[in-house]
Amino acid sequence: MAEMSARTDSPIRSVERPGAEPPRKTFSITSLPGFTAIAITAFVLLYAPILTLVVYSFNDSESVALWGGFSLRWYEAAWSNTQVQEATVRSLVIAVFAALISTTVATAAALGTTRRGQFKGQTFIYVMINQPLMVPEIVTAVALLIFFAASKVATGYTGLVYLILAHSAFCVPFAYLPIRARLEGMNLSLETAAADLYATPWKTFRHVTLPLMMPGIAAGAMLAFVISLDDVIITEFVKSAGQDTLPTYMLGQLRRAVTPEVNAISTALLALTVMLLTAFFLLTRKRE
Amino acid sequence: MTRFMTAVVASFTLVGAAHAEGELNIYNWGNYTNPELIEKFTAETGIEVTITDYDSNTTALAKVEAGGHGFDLVVPSHSYVHIYVDKGLIVKPGIPDMENYGNIAEEWLNVDWDPAREFTVPWQWGTTGVAVNTSVYDGDINTSSIWLDPPEELVGKVNVVPEMQDIINLTLMYVGGEPCSTDKEMLKKARDVLLEAKPKWMSMDYGMTEKLSNSDVMASVNWNGSTFRARNNNPDVAYGYPKEGYPLWMDSVALLSDAQNVDEAKAFMNFIMDPENAALISSFARYANGIDGSEAFMPEDMKTAPEIVVPAELVSAGQFTTACSAEAQEFYTAIWTELQK
Repeated sequence: MAEMSARTDSPIRSVERPGAEPPRKTFSITSLPGFTAIAITAFVLLYAPILTLVVYSFNDSESVALWGGFSLRWYEAAWSNTQVQEATVRSLVIAVFAALISTTVATAAALGTTRRGQFKGQTFIYVMINQPLMVPEIVTAVALLIFFAASKVATGYTGLVYLILAHSAFCVPFAYLPIRARLEGMNLSLETAAADLYATPWKTFRHVTLPLMMPGIAAGAMLAFVISLDDVIITEFVKSAGQDTLPTYMLGQLRRAVTPEVNAISTALLALTVMLLTAFFLLTRKRE
Repeated sequence: MTRFMTAVVASFTLVGAAHAEGELNIYNWGNYTNPELIEKFTAETGIEVTITDYDSNTTALAKVEAGGHGFDLVVPSHSYVHIYVDKGLIVKPGIPDMENYGNIAEEWLNVDWDPAREFTVPWQWGTTGVAVNTSVYDGDINTSSIWLDPPEELVGKVNVVPEMQDIINLTLMYVGGEPCSTDKEMLKKARDVLLEAKPKWMSMDYGMTEKLSNSDVMASVNWNGSTFRARNNNPDVAYGYPKEGYPLWMDSVALLSDAQNVDEAKAFMNFIMDPENAALISSFARYANGIDGSEAFMPEDMKTAPEIVVPAELVSAGQFTTACSAEAQEFYTAIWTELQK
């Protein structure tokens, strides 16, 4: 996404800038009729449900729709619920490892696809890397279920590594896109200069390329972390006994009685996600 | 931080040691297992229990079938038990020889999906009926005509849960047919009744506990446990058992054929057939359990709850509905598609 905006931005600016003629009435989307109304409706539709969820997390009653006064009891309930504690730790562990692994892989992939000239099969490679974005998640989930089940039976090991591997795999494109966008925005002149000054390829990479692409890597890692933290479908199918993550735990709650405890957990998760996404935007803004 | 690291290490190693002494892995519906029940079991036997959640029979079946899951016990609904049996996914744990076997209530002992209870131990059961807000309508609520031919007061205020199997079964029983019928006359009748009633409905939605509590809908096809909760929020809500016939369901505990902790699993099966422990199951998820004598240990509000205690004259109208034949299923889907248009 970042990459696309970078691409579309520049030509428009370059068209406007050399404008020697006096400013004429230019086309602007904001002058279309109904622009404000549509924008406001869209934001209300996007945020009203989330706002309701957050408000009812402070509900004193058992219900997620009947207001019974302000209280933090559901936050306390969630905080002291051992199943929630364990699921939270598990979610974070998986997300940290998945982010590390997928970002490493994605960095290598981004370097391999951008720090070189055009090559045959380029589009094919892009599609291959971004496969998890296009294949429906349930297909990946069922495939992993069958594949890992065979492996679990054969090896007898049913630990957390399966979930980490599965998460790492589908997080790769999310980490890859911002890193590639960053690399495409950097031309080769600094690296060429370093090479001219007799820096070895490794030194060039270590002291020139890597520091320059760092914001992209950080943004990719954070996206991967958030995506892993949110995942339900693949986790539900891959998890072994005692491996509920926060989202699968919440899914289980929903089928029975929903209490504002779920709202409280969602709000906490939402806060964490918002913080990370804010950091992501600050980092991507810095590069411009 | 140290605690966090311990937890991190634990989450890696925990499952690796599935063969260790005194462990049990239960795969159950989310929010369905009373933590007090597990604490009591661990205190009495020293067996450490891990609960893992699922959200549907299909997910559970898919994971169990794939193998390598590490679970010992699973809690399928009655209509799924024969699938587990046919595929060889569950085994007979020798339930009739268990100490507490005699506690299974007479009517839950010889169920047609598990004769003599050789495979499964009762967990909880419930009914699909109608919930009505009695401040709007005070006539007879023990009938499916509440939603299939709504009285004046309820027109445009009725909800129908979009659960194909339950809805068509209820309708077939209402028009005098049998659940899973392939009798085209009956199916036609059922379809006509449904299509005629639909304009008088307000919605086809889930989540009725909240909407009934809020008086957003005045009547709905609904499950008993959900109606019980709604009544606690809104005393006007009442639960009716359609005298024309209504579906029953039961979730039961079964031992998986690839279980690693067989003795622990059997101990748990026997444990939950004890009336006091069965009452703990019910007091948490708010459904009846099928164990004789558990009423004495139930919370006060459940002993007499009209949603839990079926009125004697309406007991016989309840029917277990197993999965329909492929042919019946096709008719069901056709009717359902037409209804959703």
